[in-house]
Amino acid sequence: MTNVNSSLDQLRVWRENNDRKSREIIEIWIRNLNSNVQKLGKEKPLVLEQVCIAALDCNELGIAQKCIQELYKDFPKSLRVKKFEAMFLEAQEKYEEAIEILDNIIKHDETHSGAKKRKIAILKAQGRNVEAIKELADYLKIFMADVEAWQELSELYITEQDFSKAAFCVEELILHNPHNHLLHQRYADIKYTQGGLENIEIARSYYCQAVKLNPNNMRALYGLYLATTAIATSQKCSSQKKKEALKLSEWVLDEIQSQYKDVEVSDMEERLGALQLN
Amino acid sequence: MTADLIVDPQIRFWVFLPIVVITFLVGILRHYISILLSSQKKVEIQQLADSQLILRARVLRENAKYIPKTSFLIRKHAFNREEEGYLMQKRPPVTQNMMTDPTMMTDMVKGNLTNVLPMIIIGGWINWMFSGFITTKVPFPLTLRFKSMLQRGIELSHLDASWVSSASWYFLNVFGLRSIYALVLGENNAADQSKQMQDQMSGAAMAMPNDPKVPFKAEWEALEIVDHQWVLTDIENTITQSDG
Repeated sequence: MTNVNSSLDQLRVWRENNDRKSREIIEIWIRNLNSNVQKLGKEKPLVLEQVCIAALDCNELGIAQKCIQELYKDFPKSLRVKKFEAMFLEAQEKYEEAIEILDNIIKHDETHSGAKKRKIAILKAQGRNVEAIKELADYLKIFMADVEAWQELSELYITEQDFSKAAFCVEELILHNPHNHLLHQRYADIKYTQGGLENIEIARSYYCQAVKLNPNNMRALYGLYLATTAIATSQKCSSQKKKEALKLSEWVLDEIQSQYKDVEVSDMEERLGALQLN
Repeated sequence: MTADLIVDPQIRFWVFLPIVVITFLVGILRHYISILLSSQKKVEIQQLADSQLILRARVLRENAKYIPKTSFLIRKHAFNREEEGYLMQKRPPVTQNMMTDPTMMTDMVKGNLTNVLPMIIIGGWINWMFSGFITTKVPFPLTLRFKSMLQRGIELSHLDASWVSSASWYFLNVFGLRSIYALVLGENNAADQSKQMQDQMSGAAMAMPNDPKVPFKAEWEALEIVDHQWVLTDIENTITQSDG
């Protein structure tokens, strides 16, 4: 019993922090909870949902199925459980059936954002990016303040190489969360990729902002270096601007060198890991 | 007047206690009926979109300085455009669809079913069944003014005002059982009639549900006067100076 309690505490902490930790959750489930489903008490549905998602992550379809069955026992008509069933089908790549269930959910409750998002995820999983973009844009017409959806849309546009639209989405993200250096860095990346003097100047500004927010953002430092050298070697630029750009690029190089001076190689993986925008 | 009245002990068992028990049980019953009848408030998709729209407009207004000027102007145009801007959209006035909206009507009928109807029926029945009894006496003297309150149904001008009639006892119970319900059913129960009546009193003022026009207009004005100052204009110099 103490085992069950400590596992429940652990799961609750992860749930509240939004940690995914699917492997660990599945381990806890197999070790302590699997045989004690009835002892979960009040938290039973929450734990089952958590385990269900973790199981789908790890392709443990048996566990996921058991969770869904338990949930159906308690809530036979719940749309929320239905969504899990759709996800279960999705995991088995039975997309048609999954979409059927999701359509059913949306018919019952027009405002069910989860089901709509799952449908878009299915399109993405099938590689139908253009359709996914269209659906997601429709979704964002209603749920305009959904930050995650804007991020997903920007990533879809980037894979489709529609950079100006991707930049628009990232602007939206910056508006919602103006102090995240990774967003500024991503915006600068896009602008730099778009090319053209004006865009590269914007990229330079945003790389600077990213470096200002987090002086250790190595990718932004490198980006800043690239942007400034591009400006310095550009033909359209005035000599005054070129001089400033050169000065800035020298400063960046110093900065990069001084950062690498005291970095062990083992730290590098950690640093690269911190650069992922998730 | 000098000799005190002696009330038949039978009244205690057949009038006084039954009234308490009946009002209490009716309250409990109403609690469960209203749970049965209560329908989950459906969120209109239009309302949801409107609230998200306002949220987005507010975020744009507050953090506009973090995006380049052209990007800000594109958005401002999309929100505030003369004809089709998001914030200029026409919405049907809400008061109109309140009457035509069938769910609104059923909600009102359900409200009446659980509040007003039992109040009238039970009150009327108790008035008819237990009319004319003196049930109890408050243990302190009262002035004549209280007679109309405590001695409903007994029109005796010489009776001391501290005696309570059966109909008045029922009303005292209706309003006084609140804490008992809270004890039995927990907080936020639906059994309490006095609270419902307060709701109905203030309901008239509350009946204007969120009309999207008003916040739209406010947000439109606020966005119109935003002066865009890009914070990154001089960022290159600030970072080189602060670190170097």
